[in-house]
Amino acid sequence: MAPFVVYDIISENTNLLMAFFIGIGFGFILEQAGFSSSRKLAGVFYGYDAVVLKVFFTAAIVGMLGLLFFSLFGWVDMSVIYVNETYLYSAIVGGVIMGAGFIMGGYCPGTSFCAATIGKIDAIVFIGGMFLGVFIFGEGYPLWKNLYMAEFMGFPKISEFFGINEGIFVLLVIVAAVLMFWGAEWAEKKFPREEY
Amino acid sequence: MKKFQFTPRQMLSVVILSLGIIIAAVPKDTTTPYKLSADQILEEMKSGTQYLYPDLIAQMLVEGDPTLQLIDVRPPAEYEKYHLPGAINIPFDELLSSDYQYLLNQDVMMNVLYANGTTRANEAWMLIRQLGYDNNYVLTGGLNYWVETILNPQAPATSSPDDEFARYDFRKAASGALGGGAVAPVEQGSTAPAAIPRPRPQQKKQAVQGGCS
Repeated sequence: MAPFVVYDIISENTNLLMAFFIGIGFGFILEQAGFSSSRKLAGVFYGYDAVVLKVFFTAAIVGMLGLLFFSLFGWVDMSVIYVNETYLYSAIVGGVIMGAGFIMGGYCPGTSFCAATIGKIDAIVFIGGMFLGVFIFGEGYPLWKNLYMAEFMGFPKISEFFGINEGIFVLLVIVAAVLMFWGAEWAEKKFPREEY
Repeated sequence: MKKFQFTPRQMLSVVILSLGIIIAAVPKDTTTPYKLSADQILEEMKSGTQYLYPDLIAQMLVEGDPTLQLIDVRPPAEYEKYHLPGAINIPFDELLSSDYQYLLNQDVMMNVLYANGTTRANEAWMLIRQLGYDNNYVLTGGLNYWVETILNPQAPATSSPDDEFARYDFRKAASGALGGGAVAPVEQGSTAPAAIPRPRPQQKKQAVQGGCS
């Protein structure tokens, strides 16, 4: 039953090699979908282009439905699936910083590398800024260590935190996503831009 | 009349919404299947790694091993009458009650289930093992064998191999520390268990001292 323990099946080097090819495929698809344009990403926030929103929410919905249905069929063991740990405050602060960088720079970390490989100068500057941020965070770690580690909540799922059934939570997310998709398309018509 | 046709967007919305409704209607328990199949349980039972011998448990008790958690699966009345030191009572009938799951499904303690014999404890072990709980073991022979071997050990024949005598010595010492005198008086007399000094924990590989030391 899934999830499989990777190192039981293939060696560590094979694993890295596969990660390399998957990474290339991922980057290629991001580029083909136009994610290497900072205008497209910033468009989410200005309402003229909601492709990014739709792509990420579609991925999340397919992932959620897939996991729950596979679990229902007995193909995957949900209890051993890794759930990210939650440090509430650093998640909020980090989310705000990431969102601000997203709007100002027009990239998220993955798409910035994608755009840098096709020679976009703003993406190269963005990557420089990212490394600068990593450096500042690492060197100043003692200063924000308390905030970084504050309010550790373990490994909760949102459905567990609110005490509702996982399936019902998934349905709520889907309803919200569908409403968002339609709202986003309405916004695209409302705030069109000729060229970007 | 114009034929109604879904646009791809409407189609996608309808599909994911219906899938969402299906998964929301699934009862929770069916999405968390048993973690071990019958085959896997059979393999584990064949290997018998869940069985622990009374000597090991006695040694852990005497040493005060903090990871040992004895669990009495007999009815509460029998538990009240007599139970092993430090044991908690999880009656077999209430094994699956949610009150006890945190004790049975954990990674810290070494749970040792026991009943009067082996069977009941082993049945309990099978059930919780099938739920995928780790760190649960069964006391071989249960309390009956415990009384026979630990609380009331029989001296081996003089022609027995040395390690028989070592085991007997250990059992006699453990018996004193674990209240053996109260169950079946042996030659130490009827001193209260608490007053008896704890024997030095005896390592398995320790040099054998023979039967008359």
